[in-house]
Amino acid sequence: MTTSRLLPVATITFILLVLWYIFTFIMNAPFQRDQDQRDGVTSTFSELVAKTMRQPKPTMPAPHQVAQNLYKNIFTVKPTSQRSLVYHAGVTLSSTLLGFLMGTVLGILIAVGIVHIPALERSFLPWIIASQTIPMLAVAPMIIVILAAVGVTGLLPKALISTYLSFFPVAVGMVKGLRSPDVMHLDLMRTYNASKWQTFRMLRAPASVPFFFTSIKVAVAASLVGAIVGELPTGAVAGIGSKLLAGSYYSQTIDVWAALIAGSVVAVMLVMLVDIAGRFTAARMGGRPA
Amino acid sequence: MSVRANWQAILGMACALLAFAFLPMTGAASTFMAVTIIMLIAMGAAASAVRPASTLSNLVLGLCPHIAVYLLIALLPGAEGKASPSFFLALAACWLLAWRLVSVLSGDGSRGSGEGWLARLGVPALFGLWILILWEAITRGAGVPFVLLPPPSAIGARLMSSLPILAADFRQTVLKAVLFGFFVGSFSGFLTAILADRFKFLSNGLLPIGNLVSALPIIGIAPVMVIWFGFDWQSKAAVVIVMTFFPMLVNTIEGLKAAGDMERDLMRTYASSHWQTLFKLRLPAALPFVFNALKINSTLAMIGAIVAEFFGTPVVGMGFRISTEVGRMNLDMVWAEIALAAIVGSLFYGAIALLERAATFWHPSYR
Amino acid sequence: MKKTLSLTLALTLSLMAGSALAADKITLQLKWVAQAQFAGYYVAKAKGFYDEAGLDVDIKAGGPDIAPEQVIAGGGADVIVDWMGGALAAREKGVGLVNIAQPFEKAGMQLVCPANGPVKTEADFKGRTLGVWFFGNEYPFYAWMNKLGLKTEGGADGVTVLKQSFDVQPLIQKQADCISVMTYNEYWQLIDAGYKPEDLVVFNYSAMGNDLLEDGLYAMEDKLKDPAFKANMVKFVAASMKGWKYALENVDEAAGIVMENGGQDENHQKRMMGEVAKLIGSGSGKLVPAAYDRTAKALLDQKIITKEPVGAWTAEITDAVK
Repeated sequence: MTTSRLLPVATITFILLVLWYIFTFIMNAPFQRDQDQRDGVTSTFSELVAKTMRQPKPTMPAPHQVAQNLYKNIFTVKPTSQRSLVYHAGVTLSSTLLGFLMGTVLGILIAVGIVHIPALERSFLPWIIASQTIPMLAVAPMIIVILAAVGVTGLLPKALISTYLSFFPVAVGMVKGLRSPDVMHLDLMRTYNASKWQTFRMLRAPASVPFFFTSIKVAVAASLVGAIVGELPTGAVAGIGSKLLAGSYYSQTIDVWAALIAGSVVAVMLVMLVDIAGRFTAARMGGRPA
Repeated sequence: MSVRANWQAILGMACALLAFAFLPMTGAASTFMAVTIIMLIAMGAAASAVRPASTLSNLVLGLCPHIAVYLLIALLPGAEGKASPSFFLALAACWLLAWRLVSVLSGDGSRGSGEGWLARLGVPALFGLWILILWEAITRGAGVPFVLLPPPSAIGARLMSSLPILAADFRQTVLKAVLFGFFVGSFSGFLTAILADRFKFLSNGLLPIGNLVSALPIIGIAPVMVIWFGFDWQSKAAVVIVMTFFPMLVNTIEGLKAAGDMERDLMRTYASSHWQTLFKLRLPAALPFVFNALKINSTLAMIGAIVAEFFGTPVVGMGFRISTEVGRMNLDMVWAEIALAAIVGSLFYGAIALLERAATFWHPSYR
Repeated sequence: MKKTLSLTLALTLSLMAGSALAADKITLQLKWVAQAQFAGYYVAKAKGFYDEAGLDVDIKAGGPDIAPEQVIAGGGADVIVDWMGGALAAREKGVGLVNIAQPFEKAGMQLVCPANGPVKTEADFKGRTLGVWFFGNEYPFYAWMNKLGLKTEGGADGVTVLKQSFDVQPLIQKQADCISVMTYNEYWQLIDAGYKPEDLVVFNYSAMGNDLLEDGLYAMEDKLKDPAFKANMVKFVAASMKGWKYALENVDEAAGIVMENGGQDENHQKRMMGEVAKLIGSGSGKLVPAAYDRTAKALLDQKIITKEPVGAWTAEITDAVK
């Protein structure tokens, strides 16, 4: 895996970095020209390029600016300090994981219920779908204010928003997965006189495993988004969301990009963990190699 | 004909009897109304216990709790926030009977039982209706402040009186940003997956980076997109594209692995090319995954476009309206927009589900 | 100096611990994130003015999409910092908010345009794009446009309104011809971004006489009927204004206190403190009836509120402050 992937990843990363620098120049140049005009100086093209790479509050920060900021906020400050991105990522991660866990459990329960109880499928399924069309992220601040009014504060309101966003992909994927066994296999179980529970345990559940891991990959990313949005109305106290807010409020674009990258790293780590868990499970179950 | 009680009816009757202990139901409600309501609940409970159930008994069960709850809500004007425990007990009794009705209508057996189209449409409709009934009765009965949660009746009235504004917001957000972003995002995710499947170099290099870039929390890229693409709908569509790309990429790549080895070997014995195998075997096998992504994307697209409008926008759009009307304490307007978003999103999802049924009729989950 | 400071701090802390049981709890919800705009309250808490008055005050920072009116209606706060426009609109929706003090005499909002751009005077607005904040901050702008007789639906005869985000990017990106800024905050972000004061055309709402009342303290009408709560509000306002006085006299220390409570960028907070000082005026916290009338009329003219508000402010609390 390492050698076969290293070259392609490095190549594409390199191409992206070059593109990023070009974009940095394109995005920052107009402001720099205005600035020079106001200062009454004329820059040569190479001076202009250099200046666009070191603006304090650029429209688009250059990669090295973001890297420096990341280095400063991760390695030069204590992880427990308010200034540390590690601290903020930790705050966000904790509500993400709580929300993801609650969402996954809820999603599985709903899927199992829908597959086995016709009344539930009829009355519930259409409304689960409708529930996701409510733009929860848009009303999240309002929800947090309402929850605070009834005394729910701290980690839980943020986690609840993550739950709301993450249970849906799990429920939809699992309904599909639990119904994925062939009719032939289901009939076979019936000829064995297997109970509903046995059919579930020996046929439906194993068949749904690939669907499960695909859906929780989406769910974990959704949880992270929920946690970040949930942090916005907490008054910019702690978390990646509050860093984004404070940064964009003071036009500190470098901080914003650093926080975004920190958020993405958290997201990628979570997705990778899910992926590894998925592969491990598939291997243990003796699944056919894809 | 015999009588067999069910737990919903027993619990419902207990609630109704207990309701007598806490009269009056609201500040100014007459005892006559209370007795009428409780009588209706009793009739419904009795009808639910009749065996075998007849059309008549089901009709009584269907009507009684709803008339009772209608009368209950009719007690509220002028008495907001003054409802007693008696009111809520009666409400709970009605709700339990409605639950019984849902169980009866959906039948207890496998698919195909129950009472046909009535059950298929009636059951979810009843469920939704009761969410609204409970919401209305509880917010008004308990006097929840309007600026926290307005009752559905106020939201409905606002919805009806603000149709031109809602139509303009719909045009801006859904017809421009959501549809464009959804199609471009899903399609490019799909194409990228197929390309990545063909060229191992691309998939090896692109996937880890694609995961990183596409897992960017959208709330963060929204202001950046506004800077890049201006404050009109284009920047919102860009957010939607980024949001919908990732689920489609992941699902399609996963789906392309779904065809079994045996089938692939068969294709190989036919000496079919990569593209022939792709179109004749692997893409059809991947379709359930692709539709799964489309369904997830349909809701993500709505959310993404609405949230993106929280940053710089022209003064039209569903997200703009939600964020500004919260500030103006017009919570009824906020919920009217949310309702519009939910309706549009449900129709969007429903259309994709129908398409899926037509395209993947062969999949075991439809047989 | 440092020693006495830490000593007073230690003393304050022990006082806080000692009096925590006896003190009455008051929750204050701010309109925005922790910054020098609210220095008076943070200073009053940090310097123990609230403790001296027998109050245990919990200051909650706000943020975008937090409506303080909603928080107080849900019982999450006893008193809020709000703008008059939002408060009167909420009052008409059944949230019985009453202005009990008006620490900010003048408004800090202004519209700025680049001097090399097309807008030099009010006459140039036609056909231009103007950036405005919403969430209750849009009323002064619409009142002003109303006065100028300009339509706000776009087109050649009116202005196109852009809901701007919380930074100055729309001007830097030239997406808008003019944007809204606060004298104490975003204006300085433009300066930081390289604009010089002479590069900007400024329309200041206070200077034009178009200002609507900004940061005031609001409490719920029904709670004010309780004499004990009212007495606490008198103590609260008195201690808060003492905090403001101290903050204005000790700008650097006040900025430091704001930083300790989650403020960002110390230099920025110091500058903000200096600008906020210009808005405080006499420092009595008394509401000027003429300013209130202008605010109420502007809201009525725009149909933000439909009827003349009654009892939306009271002088009883500030009059009781010695």
